[in-house]
Amino acid sequence: MSYNNIAQLPPGFKIIRDENSEAYSDEFFVNMGPQHPSTHGALRLAIRMDGETIVELVPHHGYIHRGMEKQAESMSYLQYIPMSDRQDYLTAIQNNLGVVLAYEKGMNIGVPEKAEYIRVMLSELGRIASHLVFFGCFGGDLGGQTCLLFGFKEREMVHDILEEVTGSRLTTNFFRPGGSRFDVPDTFIPRVKAFLTHMESTMKDYERFLSKNVIVRERSIGIGILTKEDAIAYGCSGPVLRASGVNFDVRRNNPYSIYSQLEFDVPLAYNGDCYDRYNVRIAEIHESMKILRQCIEKFPAEGPWRSKEKPVKLNPGRYYSEIETAKGLYGTYVVASSGDKPYRIHTRGPSFPHIGALNKMVQGLTVSDLVTVMATLDPVIPEIDR
Amino acid sequence: MGIINFAPKILDPIPGGKYVVNAVDYVVNWARANSIWPLTYGTSCCAIEMMSSSMARYDIARFGSEVFRASPRQADLFILAGTITRRMAPAIQMLWEQMPGPKYVLAMGACTISGGPFIYDNYAVVRGAQNILPVDVFVPGCPPRPEALFHGLLTLRDKILHETCRNPWEEGYPEDVSRKDRYREAAKTWAELEKIKDEEMAEAREKFKAENPDYKSAFKPARMVKETFPEVGRPEAAVPATGELSQAEIFNRIKEKFPSASVQGIDPEAKTEDGQSLLENTLAKASSDSPVEITLDVKDYLAATKFVKEDPAFKMDYLIDVTAIDYPDHFELITQLRSLELGHKVFFCIPLKKDESVPEEKRSTSLLATVPSITGLYPAANIKEREVYDMFGIDFTGHNDLRRIFLDKDFVGYPLRKDFTHPDMIKRPV
Repeated sequence: MSYNNIAQLPPGFKIIRDENSEAYSDEFFVNMGPQHPSTHGALRLAIRMDGETIVELVPHHGYIHRGMEKQAESMSYLQYIPMSDRQDYLTAIQNNLGVVLAYEKGMNIGVPEKAEYIRVMLSELGRIASHLVFFGCFGGDLGGQTCLLFGFKEREMVHDILEEVTGSRLTTNFFRPGGSRFDVPDTFIPRVKAFLTHMESTMKDYERFLSKNVIVRERSIGIGILTKEDAIAYGCSGPVLRASGVNFDVRRNNPYSIYSQLEFDVPLAYNGDCYDRYNVRIAEIHESMKILRQCIEKFPAEGPWRSKEKPVKLNPGRYYSEIETAKGLYGTYVVASSGDKPYRIHTRGPSFPHIGALNKMVQGLTVSDLVTVMATLDPVIPEIDR
Repeated sequence: MGIINFAPKILDPIPGGKYVVNAVDYVVNWARANSIWPLTYGTSCCAIEMMSSSMARYDIARFGSEVFRASPRQADLFILAGTITRRMAPAIQMLWEQMPGPKYVLAMGACTISGGPFIYDNYAVVRGAQNILPVDVFVPGCPPRPEALFHGLLTLRDKILHETCRNPWEEGYPEDVSRKDRYREAAKTWAELEKIKDEEMAEAREKFKAENPDYKSAFKPARMVKETFPEVGRPEAAVPATGELSQAEIFNRIKEKFPSASVQGIDPEAKTEDGQSLLENTLAKASSDSPVEITLDVKDYLAATKFVKEDPAFKMDYLIDVTAIDYPDHFELITQLRSLELGHKVFFCIPLKKDESVPEEKRSTSLLATVPSITGLYPAANIKEREVYDMFGIDFTGHNDLRRIFLDKDFVGYPLRKDFTHPDMIKRPV
């Protein structure tokens, strides 16, 4: 069946094709999700197929829309920090940082040096944990379920560290304006050291395991290409943007915390295909380890770990903070009026634009390639829907 | 179940028949309890803990449940991992209906028990899985640790092991004592046990008091010791990179082109205490780390966006976000742009007057403001503008796909307006 009028198509679909052309005779629609292991959560994709080829794809959001922004209006500022945990739960600790940085602008307070190191170290640990989940899911989505076991193995070590410091494995709720909830225990630095030593040797295994694997290369090189222009136009960020050859990292371009004092590279790739996105993330794990090693060297043993405690109440105004999470640019926009509740809090999640660009990337591919592309975009759906 | 349902009725009256029924029960339950196949389903945080529990360290295979099935037709157990929203609920019910019996439901996490963190002021979340499905086991936690999930699984196992093909609801059957009497007896025993427990506790408390007359409850964990902390000032803004425009330059250039431009929240005539212009002061303090918002007229919005995108000194090629704020008499549309190459940011703030001509009773369900769409300049604005349309009810002219994005197409009202009401919203107690 073919369509020559946009009104005949289901909502969202736009391509109108020639009725008389023979090539388009096999059109049908496939529904993927909201319960599907490869959509990484409750996302529904309506796919228009021509035989085995994807003609067009329309993502349907909102299956995990929880009204966080509405709730934020009746919460105190502190009560909103746990909400940010539940957005991108793979690196909850980084989301905490994003929210807290915006609050600090509104409260006009700074952070002592030790607290900055704690923040950076935990953020980088979170980034490694998130990229390990990506590693597992990428392998798993390609059919190699063993990768999931590998990725989650080292991730548990990160979670041990996070649990010891914050008291929680996943939803950390740790940072506060002016520092953090607690000081880190004495065992923190030795544990991170041990983790890095372990990770160094395992990373070699990982790369041997997937990067050079013939099946992985065949299924990801040249698949799901996102050009540099498209990546910028669709507002992609993080590893997805960098894999398309755009040298942009908030840690480098607008350094927050103490990232300006640390040496690290921004891994880049230029083809913008699935293999490049995979490689950029693997290189980022190495860079995070480099940052962690520098932090261990410079970590101040003495000194205050937070600034003077103040009631969390923002001066009236509008504050915006942005950080680089494992997925990309995470912006927090706070509108503060007089009173101890925010007038409005808005989150700019990195995964949302990535799904917006998905249609552009998968046209002309097959459904099995769509699964690969979805895995390398590494979206977290609750962060999109909020 | 089929024929097995009739077996107890036929076999139980026969001498020795009860043992046959018990044996069949035992074998069937043993098989079922030791290989529960869960459905691969997860919406949010709990799903990650569910995944963790099936991985190497926690290893759900020890309990015979490692076979996660992606199709409901092959699964016995529905682990409800993650928040259930109103939009997802029909899909969940459909999945449950597609599962073959006997099927079990395990509600994992606070959200599926009561709505968890999303109880108050929420229009989107179902408060507890029991409202839509029969739940067998609840596992509390936010999210529950893998060990907690295993405890839930073992509880479910116990439940399955005590199942029977006899009909438990038929009174007086198979024993002669009626169900009512059995219940009364159990309640009596329970009350006696509670009484004994209370007495023992009181005794122990008195004994402890007698032994430690000076005891005061003064539990203080080491980490919670009150320390004094210094006041720390904010760090200085980073030095702008080459080619980066300062916020003052940005504002002046836009003001030159569009005379209606002003800085949000700043009166251009106002003076500070020491006689300087407040506007200049604010612009000097602002940096690309904390930019000012430039207020523009709606009619200049599209032209200004086009200007900053194409001007070689600006090169605003990247759209960060489009969002809005609701005030009693107007909306403010916030468009955040940045230049990836040069590093500066421009935040536009467009006040949109609410349409006065809409009658009072229709205000909550109708679009109250109109603004030109910038999807032609920034394709990224497509989804962002749909979100603003969905949440605030602001119309974008020139947007070719303006549909609701997060809510159902027949949802009534626009949630992020301050006067939004929903019949299922519970107000947060103060």
